Amino acid sequence: MLVLSRKIGEQITIGNSVKVTVLSFDRGIVRLGIEAPKSIPVHRKEVHDKIVETNKAASQTDFSSIRDAVSSKNVNLSSNTKSKNIETTLIKKNKVGGK
Amino acid sequence: MQEQEVVNIRTLHFGEIEIPKQNILDFEFGILGFEDLKQFIIVSEEETEPFKWLISIDEPNIGFPIVDPWLLDNNYNPGRGFNLEEDAVFSIVTLGKKDQNMTANLKAPIVINIKENTGKQVILPNEKYSPTFIVSKK
Repeated sequence: MLVLSRKIGEQITIGNSVKVTVLSFDRGIVRLGIEAPKSIPVHRKEVHDKIVETNKAASQTDFSSIRDAVSSKNVNLSSNTKSKNIETTLIKKNKVGGK
Repeated sequence: MQEQEVVNIRTLHFGEIEIPKQNILDFEFGILGFEDLKQFIIVSEEETEPFKWLISIDEPNIGFPIVDPWLLDNNYNPGRGFNLEEDAVFSIVTLGKKDQNMTANLKAPIVINIKENTGKQVILPNEKYSPTFIVSKK
């Protein structure tokens, strides 16, 4: 790990497009200002990690458990949507054999 | 007549399926935690509608149930930077086998650009959206 010491107001650059500024330091809390192009997402690490964890859990979801939830009418969903229609992109499957 | 180009994959959920190449979505950055998966399709199956399935082409055994977030929250607003005229938005759904709530990730939606056949997962800055929004209680 590269370790750099910076004073308040000083910056570091990452690549050609990311700039990090130390804004303040108070009672153990560092405030950083980050300038990055839109294509580089910047997030608190714990938020990023939570999404990774959630995605991994989602990928373990069984087809049959969703089917059972839908057929038991256990799921309350509204029927209004604002989402763009994706009809042309969908691959349609009817009736899957077995479990 | 020009033949439509197709690829065949064998999926865990749906067995063998034939996919027209034009239906394949490119995810340049993959999905968080699955950065190596660069191509996906969306499969709709009658029995699980309105839930659909985002299935990896690279690893056809990996698939995510997805749902239209507005069906869960009528006022869902992913915020600036979304063009809802061009983009379709989905939330990834999680449901364990037993005694678990069904949850949806409203914090990090999947955004699909229909025109360009591209997709990505975006983390919304809005603190009010949870990655584990409860859809239904067990």
